[in-house]
Amino acid sequence: MSDPIIRLVDLHKRFGELVVLDGVSFDIPRGKTTAIIGPSGTGKSVLIKHIVGLLEPDQGEVWVGDVDMATASERQKYAVRKRFGMLFQDGALFDSMTAGENVAFPLRFHTNLSEAERRRVAEEKLALVELPDVYDRPTAALSGGQRKRVGLARAIVLEPEVVLFDEPNSGLDPMTSDTIDELIGRMKKQLGITFIVITHDIVSCVDIADYVAMLYGGKLVEYGTVQQLIHSKQPIVRDFLKRNVELPPL
Amino acid sequence: MNAVRELGRFGLFVGSWFRASVTRPPPIRASIEEAYRIGVLSLPILLIISVFVGTNLALQGYNAFAPLGGQRLIGMFVALAGVREMAPIMVASMVAAKAGTEMASQIAVMRIRDQIDALEVMAINPLWYLITPRFLGILAVLPALTMISIFTLTLSAYLVAVFQLGLDGGEFLDYFAQTTILTDFLYCGVKAFFFAIIICFVSCFYGFHCKPGPDGVGGATNSAVVVSAVVCAALNYLLSELLFGGRGL
Ligand SMILES: Nc1ncnc2c1ncn2[C@@H]1O[C@H](COP(=O)(O)OP(=O)(O)OP(=O)(O)O)[C@@H](O)[C@H]1O
Ligand SMILES: [Mg+2]
Repeated sequence: MSDPIIRLVDLHKRFGELVVLDGVSFDIPRGKTTAIIGPSGTGKSVLIKHIVGLLEPDQGEVWVGDVDMATASERQKYAVRKRFGMLFQDGALFDSMTAGENVAFPLRFHTNLSEAERRRVAEEKLALVELPDVYDRPTAALSGGQRKRVGLARAIVLEPEVVLFDEPNSGLDPMTSDTIDELIGRMKKQLGITFIVITHDIVSCVDIADYVAMLYGGKLVEYGTVQQLIHSKQPIVRDFLKRNVELPPL
Repeated sequence: MNAVRELGRFGLFVGSWFRASVTRPPPIRASIEEAYRIGVLSLPILLIISVFVGTNLALQGYNAFAPLGGQRLIGMFVALAGVREMAPIMVASMVAAKAGTEMASQIAVMRIRDQIDALEVMAINPLWYLITPRFLGILAVLPALTMISIFTLTLSAYLVAVFQLGLDGGEFLDYFAQTTILTDFLYCGVKAFFFAIIICFVSCFYGFHCKPGPDGVGGATNSAVVVSAVVCAALNYLLSELLFGGRGL
């Protein structure tokens, strides 16, 4: 883990009285998949919103390359974000556009491609997420799993270095969930993308992640490879794993 | 105290929009689409209301002046009440109710579904992307709608005066023309210009600051129309005082 793409240094964040992050530090390695786990409400989403500069920490640093997102100017933030793709919980697709227009959307603003070329690139990305025929489908007509995959296609359309994925598996059936996990694995290999994935699902975590960070009570309680996590001696981690993995044995 | 803080937030909001928009190209095509949408959305109801405001101005003008033997003055009454006062504020209220609520609810839905955050992460400034086309669109359309409303209500008042009340059409037009000079239309345009700014920013402000949860969108939409209508009405008084006050006829 010699070449971190993102470095979090002593992050603190509170909303009013509620302390959400209470001194979180770790490095996210380039070209790997890092999973962030932890019980609901521990600040996983808040953490990745700091990485893309949607939230500013009360204290601490968020280094992306040589830019500290905590203190960056708007121009610097936007420059960093062009290297990022992010998937929100339900896709955050624009309802007024078709599936394909959603995927092509960032190209309108950050490339000089013609409309026909944008369509070609978008269709290429849709094929990559195994949705070859949905370009003209209204967004409202997509199923939950399809929305996530269209969101993934949109997130990678500018060929980002880093993709942040907030709960790829939530609300999906196990098979669709597996499809998404496979997609993430393939994109990491083929495109060399660094993935940061928030998940509740330990099974999928074991499948896709190289490294795992566990948040609990505003602190980072465990950070290491999947093997290290599974063999962790910490009671909190053991509890969390036990409760999550009643079905398949690890 | 709350109102002061809200006003401060509103000022910051408009300031951020301004900074985001002067450094970026104006979205011409999106603005034309917005102008068209706002126009189409508000025009039918506006025409209907204008017709019936015109009819009633004629009737009440007649009621007011007939006992004094001054029923010939209806044209003047329509020019003063209809053109200068009713048309601008009526158009503003209709557009706030139709287009303003639509702005607020669309943006509020985008807020609670993370679409505004998604824009940020795609390195597209949401203030610029969402507000600027709506701003340019409403700015172009509101003065035009006001002129259409003026024409419609004057025509319907004329028709009532001549065909129902049996007054002389030539006299109506004479008095109307004497009272209404070209600057009146210009001033109505000025009013519409300010109302457009208020409706757009108030509606977008409540949309952007939509609270999460099931009541958020409804609350944002409701605040948008109430606040923009009240502010427009109060400003209408101020503007009338500034533009028409003390000038007499
Ligand atoms: N903008 C905000 N303002 C106020 N409180 C917030 C805000 N964002 C998050 N919180 C609070 O911070 C805490 C952590 O939220 P967060 O969404 O990061 O949890 P999470 O770990 O992602 O949970 P889940 O697994 O359920 O998604 C929650 O208690 C939430 O209510
Ligand atoms: Mg979350």
